[in-house]
Amino acid sequence: MENSELKELIVNSLDSNADPAEAINRLQAEGVSFSFSEDVVGRVLDAVTATGLIALNDNDNDNEIAGSIRTIFYRIAIGGIAAILILFVSIVLSEGSFSLNSLLGLSNTYDESIISLLTGK
Amino acid sequence: MIGESYRDKDENELVRASLDGDKLAFGEIVRRNQGMVAKTVKGMLGNTADAEDIGQDVFVKLYRSLQDFRGDSKLPAYIQKIAVNLTLNEIKKRKRFLSVFARKDNSEMPHLEIADHDNERKRDASEIVSRALMSLSSKYRIVVTMRMLQGYSTKETAEMLNLPVGTVLSRLARAQSQLKEILKKL
Repeated sequence: MENSELKELIVNSLDSNADPAEAINRLQAEGVSFSFSEDVVGRVLDAVTATGLIALNDNDNDNEIAGSIRTIFYRIAIGGIAAILILFVSIVLSEGSFSLNSLLGLSNTYDESIISLLTGK
Repeated sequence: MIGESYRDKDENELVRASLDGDKLAFGEIVRRNQGMVAKTVKGMLGNTADAEDIGQDVFVKLYRSLQDFRGDSKLPAYIQKIAVNLTLNEIKKRKRFLSVFARKDNSEMPHLEIADHDNERKRDASEIVSRALMSLSSKYRIVVTMRMLQGYSTKETAEMLNLPVGTVLSRLARAQSQLKEILKKL
């Protein structure tokens, strides 16, 4: 294709009724192409790694920390629940029932004893 | 090199793998879209070292924002928007630079001005297109790039650039008449 024909093609590709896909195919067939230099993939990956982005790894680290905190919390919560259950069972076994007094260890104590303990008389 | 296994994966799989830290999956995304980005960036900025850097920046920015990609649009369209934004930012930077360091020079790329003395030299097709594009102002160049190099329809161009369809049509018409004059000199 002569340069004059190519120029005509360029201008005509902008016609409002022109098919953009057809125009681009014809231009490409004439050798119109734009590309980056070789190994753009390698350069991008190097840039991504160099800027410390790789992997999302900052996010992964954040996620790991959050996951560890969550695990510790669950372990503490489960341990606490188990301790409460053991306390409840031991109270029921030792006192025969569960009440506020038995929880406070006052079920077998008379009122006078409590006054005596509190006042020293 | 990127393994063959990545070539079979669709874009959503590649995005997920990239988010899991798979560099090769991200490399495959770059490989698939580098041509499209090159057309936009080099069409707008010319075949310069800056354009290579901006092309690289497009993919670095993509990597940073990959978590925000929700799959509402196609990945190439998402990448194209990043490319357009970074390229337009670069053009603004160049304009600022030239406004400070160049005297009464309205050209964004003075080194690419059309020179009549080499009219007789036969240029390859890409060079003719590149020179013609660089002779247009940026607002016309972007619509021509989208249309002529990316093959976008008027509606797609309007959506990509957040412009009304009528504006795109009028810019294409003006760009076309300017190109006729420019190409006579090339």
